[in-house]
Amino acid sequence: MIPSDHFTRFYNEVFKFLEDKGEEHLEAYWLEISKNQEKHTLELFKEKGLKGMYEYWDHIRIEENCDMDLKLDDEKLELRMNVCPSLSKVLDNDAEPMKRYCDHCAGWIGPLIDKVDHHLVYDVIDRNKPQCVVKIFKDKEKAIEEEKNAKLLMKWPGKK
Amino acid sequence: MNKNNLDQKLRYNDGGNVHMDFHGATNTTIEFIINKYGIDTMNDIFKKVGNDVYKDIKDHIKKGNIKMLAKHWQHFFDRENADYNISINDEEIILTVNRCTAYDHVRKLVGNVSPNFCDQTIKTNEALAENTPYEIKTEILGEAACRQTIRKRA
Repeated sequence: MIPSDHFTRFYNEVFKFLEDKGEEHLEAYWLEISKNQEKHTLELFKEKGLKGMYEYWDHIRIEENCDMDLKLDDEKLELRMNVCPSLSKVLDNDAEPMKRYCDHCAGWIGPLIDKVDHHLVYDVIDRNKPQCVVKIFKDKEKAIEEEKNAKLLMKWPGKK
Repeated sequence: MNKNNLDQKLRYNDGGNVHMDFHGATNTTIEFIINKYGIDTMNDIFKKVGNDVYKDIKDHIKKGNIKMLAKHWQHFFDRENADYNISINDEEIILTVNRCTAYDHVRKLVGNVSPNFCDQTIKTNEALAENTPYEIKTEILGEAACRQTIRKRA
């Protein structure tokens, strides 16, 4: 068994293999993960919108031991990841970290948020630091405006 | 179960909560890689996990310290609340997993577990032992059950 605690290091090995094959291979995998995540998020997000997203990430915050602040208002959900356990483990690793490890997160979350007609702004800030700011808006124009403030804005399959 | 009182610290010594759903993502990944690239590719990735991610445990095995592997097994099977027994001595360690919670969790999560789900154990173990004086044999005893034995090569 690869312990669930070490999944991210296994994930990192998969990413390195796929990155060598080409960008489209990496994106196909992110979409597969996104589809897998739909099983326990899509209905919740569709039914409850931002509140459902808050519930999901609040559960993740606890279960994945994230140092993360969550803020919900009528217009948006904001996740401020102060210390990301996923990238932290990949960096604390005897195997080499994939340089674009952070990209997978927008890679699976973006297509899911697109499906529920909300708008994701994913600022990774710096791929070498385990921190990021994620904002999900109801209103597309507000998301486009917020993109201007991002230091390192992430794209995903379907948003280039 | 014999207690393993080895003082040396594990290279990866996780604490806090356990996110069992990652096993579901492992199952999805195994299916995705095998369907798209074939089983040899999947096995190569597991080999990298054994050789590179678990380099520290492998280095201990090379030096004859197989108890670090026992400590690793105990730590993570305890964290995941698996039902297991372990017998430890200087020459041989036998881990018997009566109920693998990873397998069990995936079964509950998605219904059908990949027929190659246990390859993560078999192939990672093989890589851990490769080019060391030891071999690790993984026997599947049934659904969610296996025996993993590390002993000196004959």
